[in-house]
Amino acid sequence: MRLSITPDFAALEIARDAWSEPFWQWGEQGEVRMPACLCCGAFRWPAGPFCPSCRTQEVEWRPAGQARIHTFTILPISGEATKVRMPTLVEFDDAPGVRLVSVLVDADPDTAAIGMPVAIDWLAASNGKVPVFRMEATGDRA
Amino acid sequence: MGRKAQSAIVGSGATPYYFRGESAPQTVLELIDKAVLAAVADAGLHIDDVDGLAFFAFGFDTGMIIEQLGLKNVTFAHCVSAFGGGMAGMLDLADMAVSTGRARNVVCIGATQQVGRRVGQALGNFAASPDNIFHRIAGLNGPGQALALSARRHMHEFGTRREAFAEVVMASRAAAATRETAFRRKPLSMDEYMAAPMLADPMCKFDFCLETDGALAFVVTAADRARDRPQPPVYIAGAAQHGSCDWGRAFFWLGQTPEAFVSAGGVKVAERLYQLTGMTPADIDVACLYDHFSPLVIMQLEDFGFCARGEGGPFVESGAIRLDGAIPVNPHGGHLSEAYVVGMTHIREAVEQLRGTAVNQIAGARTALVTGGPAPTPMTAAILRSEP
Repeated sequence: MRLSITPDFAALEIARDAWSEPFWQWGEQGEVRMPACLCCGAFRWPAGPFCPSCRTQEVEWRPAGQARIHTFTILPISGEATKVRMPTLVEFDDAPGVRLVSVLVDADPDTAAIGMPVAIDWLAASNGKVPVFRMEATGDRA
Repeated sequence: MGRKAQSAIVGSGATPYYFRGESAPQTVLELIDKAVLAAVADAGLHIDDVDGLAFFAFGFDTGMIIEQLGLKNVTFAHCVSAFGGGMAGMLDLADMAVSTGRARNVVCIGATQQVGRRVGQALGNFAASPDNIFHRIAGLNGPGQALALSARRHMHEFGTRREAFAEVVMASRAAAATRETAFRRKPLSMDEYMAAPMLADPMCKFDFCLETDGALAFVVTAADRARDRPQPPVYIAGAAQHGSCDWGRAFFWLGQTPEAFVSAGGVKVAERLYQLTGMTPADIDVACLYDHFSPLVIMQLEDFGFCARGEGGPFVESGAIRLDGAIPVNPHGGHLSEAYVVGMTHIREAVEQLRGTAVNQIAGARTALVTGGPAPTPMTAAILRSEP
C-alpha cells in the first residue's frame, strides 16, 4: 500500500508579513483562523491589505470551521515505491471563498476523495508551526 | 465580420529548437538576435527598418538587444505584464504601435533557454514569500503539479476521463509525425499512455509538455503597408488582453472562483476577442492553443466556445481536434510534441497555416486562433486572418 509522507519542516523558514502574522499566531495555539472583512464580512486569502469586495482594510480573524478536500494531487518520490507526497487543497465550512493548500499526511492516496473532511495538525518549522491535513479518524482508530 | 485589421505579421523567424540546455554556449540574447534577423529577412526588410520591440513574460534586456543588433531608432519597446499568458498580447502591443504611428515595424520576441533552471520547476525558483509559503509546504514546485489540482477537479465535476487527456496527446503526436522540427514524432497508443508513470496524478508524464530552448520573432507592420512585403500578409484581426480577480494569479493562488478553477482562465479574454473581431468560434479554422499540459487544452476548448463547459472531454474524444476534425488543434504538434518556446511556436504555425505553407496544411484555412498560456493575468489571445 502507498502512503503519503509527513515532510520534515524543521528547517523551513516561514515567510510572514503584518497581514499574515495572525494566521501563524493562531497556529501556535493549534487553531485555523481566517481573515474576514470587518465591513462586509468577506473572507480573503492570502491575508492582504484590502478586501477585494469592498476595499476595507480591517479584518477579524474568525475560526475557519471544518476543512474538506477540494482537490489533491499525488506526487511520486524519487526512489520510493510506496511513499508519495500529496499536495491537497481544502475549503472550510465557515470561511467561504478561502482555499488553503498544504500536504495530506499519513494517508492512503487510493482512499482520498474530494469532499472528505480532514483534520488540521500543526507541525514544527524553524520559526513557528505549519498546518498539514490528516484524514479524520475512522471507527477503528477513534 | 467586425472591423478591418489594422496590422499584419509580415515576417517570421526562428532559431532551431534545442532540447533543454542544449542551445548553449549561445546566450539567450544570441538566440533572440538570430530570430530577429531571420524575421526581418523573411519580411524583406533591413534591420535598420526595425523601430519597435514587443515582449511578454518580463521580456529581455532591451538595451542589450539594441546594442547587439545596432538598432538606431527604436521608438517603441514594451512588454505585456504577464507570464506565458501574455504571449498573444504581444501582438496587441505591436498592433497598437503600428496603427497609431508610434513605430512602423515592430518585432515581437519570445524565447526560452533552460540552462541551470527549468520552467517545469518555476514555482520552486522564486524566493520564499508570505504568499507562496503554502505552495512550498504543499510541495508544489512546478506549474504542472499545481494544474493537476484543476485537472482532478474538472474530472470530478464533469466526468472528464484520462482517455480525453490521452487523446489530446495522441492527436498532438499524430500531427508532429510529419514535422521535421518536432522532438516527439513517434505515434502514441492509448496503452502506452495508460502505462506511463504519473508525475502529478491525474497527470502522467505524457500530459507534460517538452522543455526546450529556442527563440522566435515576428515582424508586425501596418495593414496598408503589408502588401508591399514579399510574403502573404497574415493580418491581426484582433488581439485581446484581460485580467480579473476571478482568475488572478491562477495556480500561484488557487483561490479562483469555482467556475474559473475548472477553466483555463480564458473565458473573459475569449469574450473580448470575439467582440473585438466580430467573429465566433465557428469562424475559426485552426486553433493554436497553449498546450503546456494536456488537460488545459480541453479547458481552453471550453473557454473559447468550441464546446460547452464540461463537455471538453467527450468533445476531444470524438476526434474533433484531429487534423480532419471539427476544429484542428495545433497541427504543428504544439508544446506537447514539437517544442516549447512559451507559446511562440503557435504564432509561427498560425502564420504558416495562413500563408498556406504549413507542414500539415489545413485545406482552405483562412483564420487561426492563438492563445496565451493559462497562467497569471492578464490572459491574452489573438485571431489571425489571411484577409484584412
